[in-house]
Amino acid sequence: MEALNLRDDMGENSAIAAHNSMQLIAFSIGEQTYGVEITTVREIRAWNGATPLPNTREFVRGVINLRGTIVPIFDLRARFGDGPTSPTKNHVVVVMSVGDKWVGILVDAVSDILTVSREDIHNVPEGNSVDTELLNGIVTHDSRMVGLIDLHAVVSGAKLDG
Amino acid sequence: MSDLDDFKATYFDECSELLNELEEQFAAIEAGERDSDRLNAVFRAIHSIKGGAGAFGFSALVGFAHAYETLLDYVRDGRVELTDDVCALCIRANDIIADHVKAAQSGDVLDADYGMEEKERFDALARGEAADDDETGGESIEEFDIDFTPVMVNLDAVEEVAEAPAAEDAFDTAPLQPETGHWEVTFTPHRALFERANDPLLLFRELALLGQMHTRAVLGEIPPLANFEPFAVYCTWEISIVSPTVTEAAIREVFEFVEGDCDITVTQVGAPAAAAPVAKAAPAAAADDGLDLLALADDEVGVPAAPAAKAAAPKADAAAQDKFEEAPGLSFSELAETMAPPPKPVAPPRAKPAAIAPAAAPAAEGEDHGTRAVGVQSIRVDLDKVDRVVNMVGELVITQSMLTQQMDETLRARYTELVRGLEVLAQTTRGLQDSVMAIRAQPVKSVFSRMPRLVRELATKTGKKIKLETIGENTEIDKTVIEQLSDPLTHMIRNSADHGIEQPDVRLGRGKSETGTIRLSAEQAGGNILIIVEDDGGGINRERVLQVARDKGVIPPDTNPTDEQIDQLIFAPGFSTAAEVSDLSGRGVGMDVVLSNIKKIGGSVHVRSSTGKGTRMTLRLPLTLAVLDVMLVKVGDSPYVVPLSSIVETIQVSRASFERVPSGGQVLQVRGEYVQVIDLAKRFDMKSQTDQDSRFVVLCEAEGSQKVALIVDDIIGQQQVVIKSLEENFERVEGIAGGTILGDGNVALIVDVQGLKTQLIHKNAA
Amino acid sequence: MTTLRVLTVDDSRTILAMLHHTLSNAGFEVLQAEDGQQGLDVLMKESVDVVITDINMPVMDGIEFIRHVRATGNHQSLPILILTTETSQDKRELGKAAGGTGWIVKPFDPEKLISVIHRVVH
Repeated sequence: MEALNLRDDMGENSAIAAHNSMQLIAFSIGEQTYGVEITTVREIRAWNGATPLPNTREFVRGVINLRGTIVPIFDLRARFGDGPTSPTKNHVVVVMSVGDKWVGILVDAVSDILTVSREDIHNVPEGNSVDTELLNGIVTHDSRMVGLIDLHAVVSGAKLDG
Repeated sequence: MSDLDDFKATYFDECSELLNELEEQFAAIEAGERDSDRLNAVFRAIHSIKGGAGAFGFSALVGFAHAYETLLDYVRDGRVELTDDVCALCIRANDIIADHVKAAQSGDVLDADYGMEEKERFDALARGEAADDDETGGESIEEFDIDFTPVMVNLDAVEEVAEAPAAEDAFDTAPLQPETGHWEVTFTPHRALFERANDPLLLFRELALLGQMHTRAVLGEIPPLANFEPFAVYCTWEISIVSPTVTEAAIREVFEFVEGDCDITVTQVGAPAAAAPVAKAAPAAAADDGLDLLALADDEVGVPAAPAAKAAAPKADAAAQDKFEEAPGLSFSELAETMAPPPKPVAPPRAKPAAIAPAAAPAAEGEDHGTRAVGVQSIRVDLDKVDRVVNMVGELVITQSMLTQQMDETLRARYTELVRGLEVLAQTTRGLQDSVMAIRAQPVKSVFSRMPRLVRELATKTGKKIKLETIGENTEIDKTVIEQLSDPLTHMIRNSADHGIEQPDVRLGRGKSETGTIRLSAEQAGGNILIIVEDDGGGINRERVLQVARDKGVIPPDTNPTDEQIDQLIFAPGFSTAAEVSDLSGRGVGMDVVLSNIKKIGGSVHVRSSTGKGTRMTLRLPLTLAVLDVMLVKVGDSPYVVPLSSIVETIQVSRASFERVPSGGQVLQVRGEYVQVIDLAKRFDMKSQTDQDSRFVVLCEAEGSQKVALIVDDIIGQQQVVIKSLEENFERVEGIAGGTILGDGNVALIVDVQGLKTQLIHKNAA
Repeated sequence: MTTLRVLTVDDSRTILAMLHHTLSNAGFEVLQAEDGQQGLDVLMKESVDVVITDINMPVMDGIEFIRHVRATGNHQSLPILILTTETSQDKRELGKAAGGTGWIVKPFDPEKLISVIHRVVH
């Protein structure tokens, strides 16, 4: 918690300087665990449906109303090429800011808040092209592999004719 | 420095208002209204632009504005006649000023000789007329310019001009002797000095800053009390200042404001004869004011002599009317009325051209009951704050209409009070909405006023004769709409001037007047604003448009569109009769930009042309962007809304008559008209689970009276919605004009009827 | 010592803003009016220590404004400074004739402005 407060008060740099660590929100899709830096997360809410958007790619789940603004929802499973999620009330939308936009990501569940050291972040191994495209790096935590999501990559290419 | 940037921002805002005002004034002046009010307003506008420009050191702008202002001054007082030529020159000058302002704003540097030609014409005009005056009147505007050097901070210039020249020049020839910095000043204030609220005490205080000061009041000529005149000044001060550095100029500067209102001598003690004092006093004034002298005290007084001086210029105190010590403060107003005009300095300062004097008099007399409304109070509010209110009011309107919808017949019958309350709420909400929208509304004038210049430039470049008429410029539209209007309007007018209006000889050959007319008008029609650009040119060359459209694949080669459809093609993406891409009409950008800009703000464009007679382009714009009347429908399982303004009627599919066309598609037959059909579920790739016959046809009409039949799965009802942007967090989606949030919190998408139609043309073309 | 109050009268928002900035930084309290008529309205309600006025203004110009001020019972000893860009002095003379106390030449130098005010105000 202390690290979090520091970050809030003094900005990211001081937190890095203090601990050289970062906090992640970890969430799961099937067996896989992914994470995003906690500072980008705005809100976590239960899946409650979305209005589908026509003429967009399969992984664009639609749009929801977030306190009066319209926010697009991206289906992370579909984004990784594993077909669309069949969401239930137990599925979760993680709302994050990407640049000046807010987007939601549909995941199976939020599992944890992790503190990891930046030094422990490794490059994504070559091979799986979707992973290299969508991940910033990989970090091991309690013998679990956590993929760090590159949000900009996830939200790009949403239009059908791209 | 951010303060300076703020000031600059204020200045450029102000300039754009003033430039608009200039356009307006000259439109009236051109139309023959050449009264002094208008000329004064023009003069003030240029004067204000110049004043601010001086503060920021925009010297090119200042130079030009100053020359122009001088000409205007001559015109104003009749020395230069406001002929049509002069008027045209002024209009040209306004454009040059606008360019200078623009350059100053963007940091560009204009050619050094830009506007020089016009400046020389000002000069010639001024010289020509002024030649009748006495010789100093012939001073040219160029010479003025040399005197007027704009500098951000120019203290020296101020001092120089303010100095009394003759004495100073004489003195400056004698080298200063710092060791002998001992000066004697005699100072006799006149009555006028006090009447202008100057105060010897303050002068002494300032003098004391220059060096060691000693003052002595000379009280020789105080009359007996019976003869004592309360407003006369009976006192002279002798002041000595000792300082190694003080100069006569510095001493005289202290008395800058009271020059002419006092007798003053400044003498350097022990200085060579060359420095003999030159009295700058005004003998006439002395005769008027300095006859009697008041004996206040006869001791030597130092700086504290000031209280005596202060008594001569007290704050008004009505109660003290009878007390003679304080009397001088009393009825200056009466006195001012009975008094002779204030004394003038005997020697007019060097730079003063005699020709200015006649100009000055009318200016002083001229009461200027200008155009500005007195007492209209206003505040400046951040637009964000207004928008927040607009949004909340929008939500309120929707909540209110939702509540009203919830009242079914049973509830209505049971709770009559509640129903009445809801009706009042509905009315109040509507009123609130209108009032809030009015805050954002602005007259289209601010955009219209940019067009005369455009037309002038276009006329010059094309060699055509074009007259612009504007109508309804006080029509008000939402500020955002206005901001988005400038580019499309510019394009449309360029198009009219470039392709519509013919060359003068062609026009004459067709039996038209040599000068073409472009008419720009704005009017409110229901919930919309119509902006119409109309010209009396040759009309759209349909053969050519069709040919180009086919060549460019905008439409398939075998289609035979109607005349109206051909006209509309000029807005199609990719269409540009670029065979003659002049730098006027396009820079390769076609009219499709107009359409996309207008669509962005929820409007539509329609063009109607009559061969040989002209073209009329109509922009239909929403009054407000915030709230939209819509029909809520279902496509698949999703809620969609269709703007009510584009709906003609709704028909059950079972009752509609469709016909197959050879290409395999379907058309709808309505009252003998064949209409293209778009199944929204198919178009939006949704699964429709509704039985075909219980679906609905929503017959829509956008601009151009071209209809389209949308098939939806269900019709839910009408309501008002607040438009939300999809692009704020996502991006533009084909066929969707935006989103909105329904009463149940879900998002519904707004169908972009015009966009679907455009897509249709595309698809056919592909 | 009480804060000195300055009434600034100018139809140019830019000039008003710059005056406001300079004067309030120097510790003056600044009142504003956009023409002579508004200036008179302010003077009817507020007491000020010094007035700075432009000459060329709509509705009521600076000369007229000064005349009105001087003709009003309790403003004969109110210092009035004329803002002028004219170096040809005619406006200045007119302003003085109407009862102006002194003048400030635009573009003004902040220090000079303050020192000129101190020359006419206690």
